[in-house]
Amino acid sequence: MEETNELRKQADDSRNGSDERDAQKGKYMTFKSGNEYFGLKIQYVNEIIGFQAITAIPETEDYIKGLINLRGKIIPVIDVRLRFRQEPFEYNDRTCIIVINVKSTIVGLIVEKIAEVVEIKEENILPPPSIGRADKVQNKYVYGIGKVGDSVKLLLDPDKLLNDADMSVIEQANEMVIDEE
Amino acid sequence: MAEEFNAEGMLDMYLFENEQLLEQLQEMVLDQKDSECFDEDSINEIFRTMHTIKGSSGIMMFDNITAISHKLEDVFFYLRESHPDNVPHLELVEHVLTVEDFISGEMEKIRNGESPDGEPAEIIAELDKFLEKIKSGAVKEGEEAPAPVPQNVHVEPKHFYIAPVASSASRFYKIYITFYPDTEMANVHAYKTVYALKEIAEDLLYSPEDIISDPESAQVIIKDGFRILLQSQSNEEEIRKLIGVGYDIEAVDVFECRAEEFLQGFDFGEHELKIDLESSVEDIEAKVKAALDESKEEEKAPPEKPKMAPGDFVIKSKEPGKKKQLAKDKPKGEKASFISVNVSKMDQLMDLIGELVISESVVLQNPDLKVPGLNLANFNKAAAQMAKISTDLQNVIMSMRMVPLTNIFQKMNRIVFDVSRKLGKDIDFEMIGEHTEVDKNIIEHISDPLMHLVRNAVDHGIETKEEREESGKPDKGKVTLSARTEAGKVWISVADNGKGLDREKILAKARKQDLLAEGKPESAYSDKEVFQFITLPGFSTNEQVTEYSGRGVGMDVVVQNIQAIGGVLDIESETGFGTTMSLKIPLTLAIIDGIVMETGNSSFVMETGVIKEFFSVKEEMMIHEPNGEEYVMIRGECYPVIRLGKWYGMEDYRTSVEEGMMLILEVENRTICLFVDKLIGKQEIVVKPIPSYIKKVKGLSGCTQLGDGSIALILDPGGLVE
Repeated sequence: MEETNELRKQADDSRNGSDERDAQKGKYMTFKSGNEYFGLKIQYVNEIIGFQAITAIPETEDYIKGLINLRGKIIPVIDVRLRFRQEPFEYNDRTCIIVINVKSTIVGLIVEKIAEVVEIKEENILPPPSIGRADKVQNKYVYGIGKVGDSVKLLLDPDKLLNDADMSVIEQANEMVIDEE
Repeated sequence: MAEEFNAEGMLDMYLFENEQLLEQLQEMVLDQKDSECFDEDSINEIFRTMHTIKGSSGIMMFDNITAISHKLEDVFFYLRESHPDNVPHLELVEHVLTVEDFISGEMEKIRNGESPDGEPAEIIAELDKFLEKIKSGAVKEGEEAPAPVPQNVHVEPKHFYIAPVASSASRFYKIYITFYPDTEMANVHAYKTVYALKEIAEDLLYSPEDIISDPESAQVIIKDGFRILLQSQSNEEEIRKLIGVGYDIEAVDVFECRAEEFLQGFDFGEHELKIDLESSVEDIEAKVKAALDESKEEEKAPPEKPKMAPGDFVIKSKEPGKKKQLAKDKPKGEKASFISVNVSKMDQLMDLIGELVISESVVLQNPDLKVPGLNLANFNKAAAQMAKISTDLQNVIMSMRMVPLTNIFQKMNRIVFDVSRKLGKDIDFEMIGEHTEVDKNIIEHISDPLMHLVRNAVDHGIETKEEREESGKPDKGKVTLSARTEAGKVWISVADNGKGLDREKILAKARKQDLLAEGKPESAYSDKEVFQFITLPGFSTNEQVTEYSGRGVGMDVVVQNIQAIGGVLDIESETGFGTTMSLKIPLTLAIIDGIVMETGNSSFVMETGVIKEFFSVKEEMMIHEPNGEEYVMIRGECYPVIRLGKWYGMEDYRTSVEEGMMLILEVENRTICLFVDKLIGKQEIVVKPIPSYIKKVKGLSGCTQLGDGSIALILDPGGLVE
């Protein structure tokens, strides 16, 4: 947990004040999901919390695990692995929830393991390969591949992560509402 | 003693106070709109309200508001004094409302940082005409009739605030204070006296007026003495004590005068008392008399000029133009009754209290306390006390956010009144449940939609008198506005007993606009579906576009606004008998009494109101249909059963009816049974919306946080019935 605390502190620090905006630039919060390491721009990250009890909501996609109570605020949490159509994993002590804020939508992401905050320079980010991977579904959330030393991080577009496929679901829901009327 | 002049705060206070006053005024006026005339109390109240608004507007230098409230005050002064019995009541009501609208409009401008530039001349002229009319119609009452004074009083509004409450037990005093000629800064000493007297004063006037900012006044005070006119409950002795005889005061003379005298001086005559600062008290009195005499000649003066109203005591000071408010003390006890708070702070407080409750339960149910052999008597006592306080705390913060619908309903009352008058329809307006409390945010969102619905009801819904007579209905139309909470939602309905919606007409129009689905026969549309067409943009069946409705904008905007806050518009109508439009709005932050229950591993909450009873059923009471539907026979009645676990496809829920609990619900006139695993208890819950990220789930209307910090889903019985 020490590691997590450290990261949490870093995330907090980097969100303080606009003069530190520049300091946030190019920084990515990385976490592990499956065998891959993913990166999220640090400005989207609100905080990192330990795993806590989730209230399931019926009739939702399997990757939406439910709701958690974040200091009186009720926020939805999604399982990143399920979101990527990967095999589900057992939640344990190292499981973390990254609370992100994308365009005022606050969502918790359940990830296996938080890695670190890294700086990835613009020139080290490559566009994702368009062919050659079997699980193409994944590609649309990944807008770039960042090279850090020898390792590679898949950089996530959080907006797409949350909303892309879901959009149609919400639209459906809206249509449902209209039908009901 | 230096005056804290915080213009910003004063402006806020000004707006806030006047808004309250206007709301009260409107409520009172509408309350009595159907009676013969205003009763004595209302006349006095309107008079006082206008006076107060005039006074504070004068201080804030909003001349147009001052002028118009002044004029209305005049009208009511006349009513109060002369009791004319031939006042066209409705016309008067309209005048009052026009003035109220004008002032509200100006205040809105002020609030938005614009300058109040509305031109009141027209309304004032109307009021003058009206006043002339009732005067000429009234029994000639010579002296008592208010006489306009051709003084341009409003160029320099110098009205003193007059505390509106004056009880009959008050006494009236004239106080003359003489200072020693060698006193330094006599004006400051004089102010000290005034300040002391404010404590007991119901009405306080003094001269010279400009004692704070004008150092010259010191000389005047020393030369002529300092004059105070005081209305107070206190006796002479107390007043003397307050003034005190210090080293600086040579003599204090307190004369008690009769109310008549007091009024004669400042109230009765309605004259501007122009007092030269050099003149003595005797001179003032002489001038009062002179002014009284003059008034008769001034009877015919042009009415446009605003004239003095009772209670105003205008002193022409040496330095006109300096605005000062010295005696602007509000009646005691009301001071600081309200503060406006940023809603985000309230939200924060609310969240914190939520956390407090959670940590409280963490402490009180701490496993460490479960160690056997502990003596916890004192701990439990303290814990109980703490639990009580935190419950109170929760209740307070909740109630702070809740606002009754009263104001918005009153606004609707006003609209019905206006529109029906303009359209010449005689309409009864009934309000039910206006004390229903709704979260403040919700109120802001439903005002406009509701206004549309009410206008529609009056304009489209209710027929004209002739039409009603033809169709053999009692000749008064009726619009009912009602509010209630049911199933965690607020229902606000606008019902009229008018002609109702015409299914055929709507269908015809829908056909014309190509809205009907292909291949679907018209008869296949249910009434509800047909009525929903009118909520589409550009859809209006009203042939005539009137001032109020019929442009085809409206219903779609209503629906949009309602949907924006997660609400639904429900339309019911019976041709020939009326229409009911119901808004079903979630109480985002409302507190409801709920029953907490458990199914599978999830907690659910259901509003207590819809639950008729709990029932333990035996297997033999169940009726199974081949298609999987189930019914239960209770006391000879058969009800459909919904198993919550099955409904949501959950795991680990109890399947045997004998192990679980049956809830009998009454929703929208239907009775159903809901089967859950077990009941947990009854609790007051805060309804929170399910985050919008999660799509709408049928039968769930929100979520809430339970005492232990876990989340329970709130069931929407309406959704279960569908």
